Amino acid sequence: MNINSSLIHASNNAAAASILSSVWKLLRLRLQITYNSFRRAKLRNKIRIILVWILLLGFAYFILSASRWLLSLVQSPEFAQYADVDLRGILASIPTLTLTALFVGTVLTSFGVLLQAMYLSGDMDFLLATPVPIRAVFVAKLLQAVLPNFALFSLFGIPMLFGLGISNSYSFSYYPLVILLMIFLALAASGLSSLLVMLVVRILPPRRAAEILGLVGAMFAFLCSQTGNLANSFGRDINFSGTRLAGLLVLSNTRWLPLNWAGQGLVALGEGHWLTGILLVGATLGFSSIVFWFALITAQRLYYSGWAGMQVVARKKSKQPSRTTRTTTTSVGFVYLLPKPVLAILQKDFLTLRRDLRSLSQLISPIIFGVIYTLLLLRRSGQPPTGLGEAPGWFMNSFRIVLAYGNIGMSLFVGWMLLSRLAGMGFSHEGRNYWMLKVSPIRVWHLLASKFLVAYLPTLGLGFIFLTVISILQGLSILEFVYSFIAIVMCLAGMAGILLSFGVAGANFNWEDPRRMNSGMMGCFGQILTIIYLPISFGLFIAPLGFAQFLELPLIYGYLAGLMLGSVFAAGSAFIPLWLVRRRVEQLGGE
Amino acid sequence: MPENLIETRDLIKRYGDKVAVNKVSFDVHAGEVFGFLGPNGAGKTTTLKMIVGLLQPTSGMVKVAGYDVQTQSRLAKASCGYVPDTPNLYAKLTGRELLRFVADLYDLDHNQAVRRADELLRMFELALAAEDTVDSYSHGMQQKTSLAAALMHDPRVLVLDEPTVGLDPKSARLIKDILRQLADRGAAVMLSTHILEIAERMCDRIGIIDRGELIAVGTMDELRTLDKTGQTSLEDIFLSLTGGAEETEIADVLK
Repeated sequence: MNINSSLIHASNNAAAASILSSVWKLLRLRLQITYNSFRRAKLRNKIRIILVWILLLGFAYFILSASRWLLSLVQSPEFAQYADVDLRGILASIPTLTLTALFVGTVLTSFGVLLQAMYLSGDMDFLLATPVPIRAVFVAKLLQAVLPNFALFSLFGIPMLFGLGISNSYSFSYYPLVILLMIFLALAASGLSSLLVMLVVRILPPRRAAEILGLVGAMFAFLCSQTGNLANSFGRDINFSGTRLAGLLVLSNTRWLPLNWAGQGLVALGEGHWLTGILLVGATLGFSSIVFWFALITAQRLYYSGWAGMQVVARKKSKQPSRTTRTTTTSVGFVYLLPKPVLAILQKDFLTLRRDLRSLSQLISPIIFGVIYTLLLLRRSGQPPTGLGEAPGWFMNSFRIVLAYGNIGMSLFVGWMLLSRLAGMGFSHEGRNYWMLKVSPIRVWHLLASKFLVAYLPTLGLGFIFLTVISILQGLSILEFVYSFIAIVMCLAGMAGILLSFGVAGANFNWEDPRRMNSGMMGCFGQILTIIYLPISFGLFIAPLGFAQFLELPLIYGYLAGLMLGSVFAAGSAFIPLWLVRRRVEQLGGE
Repeated sequence: MPENLIETRDLIKRYGDKVAVNKVSFDVHAGEVFGFLGPNGAGKTTTLKMIVGLLQPTSGMVKVAGYDVQTQSRLAKASCGYVPDTPNLYAKLTGRELLRFVADLYDLDHNQAVRRADELLRMFELALAAEDTVDSYSHGMQQKTSLAAALMHDPRVLVLDEPTVGLDPKSARLIKDILRQLADRGAAVMLSTHILEIAERMCDRIGIIDRGELIAVGTMDELRTLDKTGQTSLEDIFLSLTGGAEETEIADVLK
């Protein structure tokens, strides 16, 4: 047998392979890729990954022990006597809540993974062109989407449910069924998620869908991170009571919702109510299998027929030449004084930042942060404390001044957050398009000036809005407002210079995911340095006012001294770092 | 004597121990199309990137339009247009916005830039898609946009890395015609390609690079005299000079 005939024989064998063996082949490939990534990772990354897994396993053990202990405690007669609350309803609803969270969480988290795996990874065409059954490709893709999230859910869900079982002395059948139900529910959820992906891709191009998902995810993550602050401030207005929560949880244990069957069936089996348990668990397993199978077949048909690749919502095509680039700058007349290449980069960057939701999602957190803290300030009415107390008069006057200007620091902090991204990633944002700037005859200082302005102007705008709101809230005088504005103008300029120079030093043009564009050490150094710079710079503007009060001099001397000290320091901070990195700019993109 | 618009002398580029380009010296004259050939990884793209100022040579000299790319980079770059092998363009700009952006980088007059952008968009049959963002373009459309961007400032020197890859026959023909016209108007065109038929038919002179070294430069007739095996087609000469024995073995395996 020659080489060709043996190859044809092998291909025929592949065509005749069963779905399961093909799925295993594809999953083995994925495992191989994961293993290779780990094996070729730097040593510190390997150690980090191992540590994360040890921590996760430790955390899972902690959850198991804590749930076991807590659940035993709340079921003890002593607790019931002291707390005077019946928690049986809450405890009975734990399996339902956990499994519902797993199902909903898998639908949501699988969406992004499936969008990537089916439309953006680029391997679908390759796989579908091979003699592997199409269904096997889809099963492998669904498993690929569900496995990482399932592992994470299991790390928290299984110890909690096992803890419940141990504390309630549930029968042995409870434990394997917990795992089985979790697997079936996760598969059904990923199936539904795949249909959802196809529906979305029918309306939006996959890349756009991924961008929107990134933006929503970033906003959601940031809002979650600020939940504590919001709850502290607004929690008082929400009529929140444990009894009401218990009522809600009991309601969630009703039988009309199929998602409740799994949890209730588990509890019933655990407590020895065999008939109810078997019926409910069986119904869940059957229902999940049907959902998974239906989703799998439908997704496969929709993909193969091309339905899910053809957008039905046609994009609006403007046949008129775009005027956007002109209108961007007409509102700010002074920019016409800038050299043409600087203006061109300014316009280009504002357009691309606005249109690229992936980049926009990087900028959204400072804006949300600013809005949240303005609201908090609004609720506190932003007034400095009144009363002279026992302190000397000069001290209280100085303290008032510093306090009045102190809240202005909030504008600077919001500005710092925005600048960290805009200036820090000013050059990296160019990505693989940097060659266009590199081959053009643009001067280094023009390039630096344009990137400086791209970062500085929006931050200054945001800082001005915050300053205005804070000034109104605090009833600042016109003089105080103007002085604060000058301080903000200068402090932000210095900060932009520092961050941009570190952005130059750590520029990274090889990124696909915008989150990776500023992940180097230089970005961190820049942020640390500006955290030190910010109070010094702002302090140089404000401290002379307190000194003037202390020395009982007219306040105008304080203002003049502050202006001189603060402005010189900030201007130096804006210019010197950029001057230091000017040679580096020439080398960028040429390594 | 025609003016040398591209001059390279003893051009070397090292990446650590690896020598990507080794003492490459050649000239491209005004009014000629110069083809740059070589196997994969021979150093073609590295050489082109050094010519347009994207890569700093380890040593040696490159002049474009008489200006040293190292010391007079802005003047050299102002005379040069570049089309990379992969059209990495600003995905979120429309075709028209991209061309205007390039025009501003080269400091073109606004009205002239608008007129030129319209001309190029029409010429490359991109006018209908001019208001769509570049990320919605096919590979061929992006390649044409990249070429249009390189032609915005009517460069005296045009450097193209695999310009016809991914283009339909009509677009490929259009690009060949444009390059010929540019050369006829006195520009120097240097292009790298794997398609030997294009090189044979389009190029006035051809340079062959292999393992970082320029092994042959000249017209087709001059290359024929260089090849001792008496081959007549560029494909045969190329395989003979760069070692075509491996290709023959591959063909045997596939039989």
